[in-house]
Amino acid sequence: MNRTFRLLREAVGTLLSNPQRSFLMMLGLIIGVAALTAVICIGEGTRARVMDMVAKQGWDLIMVRAGAVRQVFAPTTDRTIASLVEADAQAIENTIGNIRYVSAVQNQRGWEVVFGNTSVKTRIFGVGPDWHYIRRRPVEHGEFISESDVVNMSKVAVLGFRTAKVLFGGDNPVGQTIRIGKEAFQVKGVFVEAGITPGGDDWDDRIVIPLTTASRRLFGRLYLEQIVIQVRDARTLPRTVEQVQQLLRERHQIRSAAEDDFFVRGPEDVKEAALTTSSTLTTLLIALAAVALLAGGVVIMNLMLISVSQRVHEIGLRRALGARQRDILGQFLIEALCVTLGGGALGAACGVLGAALLSWAGVATSRISWMPFAAAMLACGLVALVFGLYPARKASRMDPAVALKTKGQ
Amino acid sequence: MIDVQNLTKRYAKGAVVTEALGGVCFRVEKGEFVAIMGASGSGKTTLMHILGGLDRPTSGTYRLDGLDMAQATDDELSGIRNRKIGFVFQQFYLLDRADALKNVMLPLIYADGAGDDDARAGQALAAVGLGTRTRHRPAELSGGEQQRVAIARALVTNPVLILADEPTGNLDVRNGLEVLAIFQRLHREGRTLVMITHDAAVAEHASRRIVLQDGRITGDQPVASPRDAHAELARMTANAPGMPAGDQGTAANAAGMAVNAPGSGPQ
Repeated sequence: MNRTFRLLREAVGTLLSNPQRSFLMMLGLIIGVAALTAVICIGEGTRARVMDMVAKQGWDLIMVRAGAVRQVFAPTTDRTIASLVEADAQAIENTIGNIRYVSAVQNQRGWEVVFGNTSVKTRIFGVGPDWHYIRRRPVEHGEFISESDVVNMSKVAVLGFRTAKVLFGGDNPVGQTIRIGKEAFQVKGVFVEAGITPGGDDWDDRIVIPLTTASRRLFGRLYLEQIVIQVRDARTLPRTVEQVQQLLRERHQIRSAAEDDFFVRGPEDVKEAALTTSSTLTTLLIALAAVALLAGGVVIMNLMLISVSQRVHEIGLRRALGARQRDILGQFLIEALCVTLGGGALGAACGVLGAALLSWAGVATSRISWMPFAAAMLACGLVALVFGLYPARKASRMDPAVALKTKGQ
Repeated sequence: MIDVQNLTKRYAKGAVVTEALGGVCFRVEKGEFVAIMGASGSGKTTLMHILGGLDRPTSGTYRLDGLDMAQATDDELSGIRNRKIGFVFQQFYLLDRADALKNVMLPLIYADGAGDDDARAGQALAAVGLGTRTRHRPAELSGGEQQRVAIARALVTNPVLILADEPTGNLDVRNGLEVLAIFQRLHREGRTLVMITHDAAVAEHASRRIVLQDGRITGDQPVASPRDAHAELARMTANAPGMPAGDQGTAANAAGMAVNAPGSGPQ
């Protein structure tokens, strides 16, 4: 049994003998570490969710949006911008090498769709036959729009999961006839349930029809909202993005100084955009963690200084019984370490719990890992050394004869 | 055992220099029980601190068990205090939060021993008649018992010198006699004791008396016929039949040679 172990036992005994003071010493750290842990859990969770989202959309997806606004996620209102046309999509497919699929896309909100006595307002998408490969949206019942549907301007529709549910209840809608605006459409398929994307796009509330049918029979316009592209080789995607941009600038006759009238988005843009939206909460929590850790450290230093002055006789006694200066220093530093590491462990547990709760409440996504525990323990050890050293030194430097003579206590 | 030559200690407070000890010389042989007497301000506390290795003299030499205490480093003094000296203080200085056993084990923290701390502390407590009170905290013990725990703490490292500073100062007569009876027994067992006191009656229990006045020794001679604390206690008990039996038993056993004290003290 060595001296360090004996000192540790002394320190733990001292702390346990005054649990209220020990808890007060820990409180700041508990809050700080809880915030820190929550930040890391949420950060990791967000990162994982974003990577998952990008992976779901595909690391091989390029999207061209009409308009100069750099808008990574889908706009929340319809903006009819006259810049992209079907011929642009055609040109991309024909001239750029690294392209697997291209689909022009039109969309418009607020269309009334009726089946029997039931009606629903939803968003209509006009797309090409390859669209569902590019967007990876499988059809559950029936099938997707075909090449000939587009060529023939067929009045066929594929329904979003919830749209189908609202209109048909539990019945199979495939083969049934619905009305979109004034036109009758035959239901060709229903999408698999997909949920809402982090960008706020509801994939279950929509109807997809052939692009030609949308532009010529429903919307009465030829300009597109977007062009979606799947590349063959995701590794050279950034170059493909440049090529698409270059091609469209040429086709739109944009002079070198002028800005694009479209926005090309790659998977990296999606990732970055999704990560920045969660950064406000992260910044806030990190600030809270820093302040709480600092305040916790100051509280520890103050309570330790009080403790040192209350324990003058104990320090004198220990010195008389053979404690060297570094034994006293060690005892107080070990006490500080026990407090901070204990507080850190409690805080980390609270942080993980908090992150799990936030995640459960849908405010944030979190992922639990060993990382926050390691970070918390490191931060707490540092706090103990930085803020515990001064009181511990003060205790160890005390003259034993003077300490024993000190009145009071 | 103790060899003090021309020991001086001066404190400088600003421009004012106070001389606490002005050339003290004396020797204490192994197995002696010496009382150092003096009024407050006589320099006896300063002398006690220097003898205990808690303070260093301004000049002069002090050898304890052959070791040069005046030249030792702080760490060396710590080691010497731990191995060679057992302190008994007027205010006991027990840790309130620790039980008797833990208090007695305290010096062993710094002794780097084999890890039989509990057994050694238990033996030391038994030697002062508190073998059955090991799990009591200081607040649950009487003043006399607390001082006996402190004596056990002084004995646990088996030091060559027991250094007691007014050990009866905070005790009533009976408890004071109990402490003195233990000291006399330790003396008979061959231990060396130095006891600092201002009380002439207390000093008469030692085998030799050194008188300190204004930092100088003014008297140093054997006590002609030391008082027997054990006998005094027995007389007190005989004259006060109302005393609780348990307390008498403990006191008598602690004062006598018996190691295992039966019964318990006052509750």
